[in-house]
Amino acid sequence: MEMSVLERQRFRQKWQQPVTTYFGENCDFLTSNDRGLDEMLANGAMKPDPGMENGWSGDLGSVLNYGNGSEFEIGNAIPRTVSCPPNVAAAMAEVAAGKGKGKEAAMSSAATGRESFKKRKADRTQSLKVIAEEKSQEKKMKGCAEEESKITDQNSNSKSTTTTARKGPAEFPKPDYIHVRARRGQATDSHSLAERVRREKISERMKYLQDLVPGCNKITGKAGMLDEIINYVQSLQRQVEFLSMKLAAINPRLDFDMDNYLAKEIFLGCTTSGPTIGVSSDMVNPAQLQFNPLPQGVLCSSSEMCVNPTDATLRRTISAPVSIPETFLDSPCLNQIQQLTWDAAELQNLYSMECQQGRSTSFISQPLTGFLDIGQVKMEM
Amino acid sequence: MKSRMQNSSTLLKQDFLKKWIKGLQIYTNFKKAKTMSIFERKKAIKLSADVAMASTRNPMTRWSRAVMANVPTDDDNASKILVEQLSGRKIEKKALITCSRKILRRSRIKARRVVRKSTVKASSIAKKLVKNRTRVLKRLVPGGEEMDEICLIKETLDYILSLRVQVDVMRHLALAAERLDPSERVL
Repeated sequence: MEMSVLERQRFRQKWQQPVTTYFGENCDFLTSNDRGLDEMLANGAMKPDPGMENGWSGDLGSVLNYGNGSEFEIGNAIPRTVSCPPNVAAAMAEVAAGKGKGKEAAMSSAATGRESFKKRKADRTQSLKVIAEEKSQEKKMKGCAEEESKITDQNSNSKSTTTTARKGPAEFPKPDYIHVRARRGQATDSHSLAERVRREKISERMKYLQDLVPGCNKITGKAGMLDEIINYVQSLQRQVEFLSMKLAAINPRLDFDMDNYLAKEIFLGCTTSGPTIGVSSDMVNPAQLQFNPLPQGVLCSSSEMCVNPTDATLRRTISAPVSIPETFLDSPCLNQIQQLTWDAAELQNLYSMECQQGRSTSFISQPLTGFLDIGQVKMEM
Repeated sequence: MKSRMQNSSTLLKQDFLKKWIKGLQIYTNFKKAKTMSIFERKKAIKLSADVAMASTRNPMTRWSRAVMANVPTDDDNASKILVEQLSGRKIEKKALITCSRKILRRSRIKARRVVRKSTVKASSIAKKLVKNRTRVLKRLVPGGEEMDEICLIKETLDYILSLRVQVDVMRHLALAAERLDPSERVL
């Protein structure tokens, strides 16, 4: 007897959880329908049940018998009569029967639970798969993009090829594979492939560097090229140092008065006293020609006359040897002159394009007239 | 093709010149330039030129960011203002950067030691040479110590190009200043 009770308790403990969970899920449904029936039955024939049995067995019975209405009364009655000893066997049988159904119910609930879980899992896996597929697609796309970049680099095509390449992603890994494989004939695992691609990238960029760095064309070998590059970068950095030092030495103020500079620049570019190079005033003519082509015939002669005094004083102050302005178009140094004027013109270009786009045309002629005025004043003096 | 390249380079030069002059103006506003010694002036000029160059290339490259980060902001306020104004961002995470850099350096030293031990038997001298030179190059390019090889070469390309532009503009300016100077003495 006690054993049976214990067994029942065990059964109850076993089945309570799924059933209660089942209840938990369908609670409102059951309470709305079964409680009413239960109450009716209880009012009609049943006595109140002892203890904890009531809670679960009644509910279990109601649940179990909900589907098949014929067993409803039995199922409801028997658990409630559990407390009375003579009926126990029958009750046990019924409980067993109920248990079977409970099993079914529990199984079904569990099954549904499992199914839902499986569904969830499946969903998750599906989503994972989807993500993975997307990732793989992205990878493919990346590969394609790399391919495209390579192709565009190699052929220097326009971007229209990339769009076409993206449409057919399956086509492009192939040539890469063949291309890589054709080189060595071995080591086709992913690591060495990746390494090879990396090396190719590096060498490609090294080629660009080779084009960029002067004197790097003849050198083969990575170490030598790196040497050249290092030297070049160092020289550039030193140049920056030197130039900033020079600038600091030249002007005592920090701000460079660009307008002033440009005025002087053009003024001196035209006259080109050239203290840096030490070339005499024969720069006058080409410079003037370059800047002021219109009034050639008249201006040239006059400006020569104007320039010479200032130029001479300039040169005297710099203690450069005074050269005679007779050597006008005797031009072995014409290249230098043009270089110089080009420099001036470019600086002026840069600044004027940046600041005063409209002014730049009048800007050139303005200092010239000023300069002419100065020259005339000097001449008069 | 060539004209386009020239056009882009002139654009770069213009941008650089604009920013540089702006930076120099910041310096002049901040300090009395007359009181500065020639070395201070040189430092200011170089720094402003570097920062200007970096800020013209700022969003794209790593070396420029490294230049920005490496500006010595402790000694004077002007450089800080300079960087902030030119690049349009604040300097705050300096301490963090130095800390992480310290750790990185330490780890790299360790790694190098390990490599040395393992490459005793390495037969290829060329590889070693390349490695040494890469290390030197990494030291030359700002921020190069944190880069891998592909990135390093890319950044070196960009750095060389922008250094060229910088040198070009500075030379022009130096020439202009040089020509201005004697004429000022005359007049």
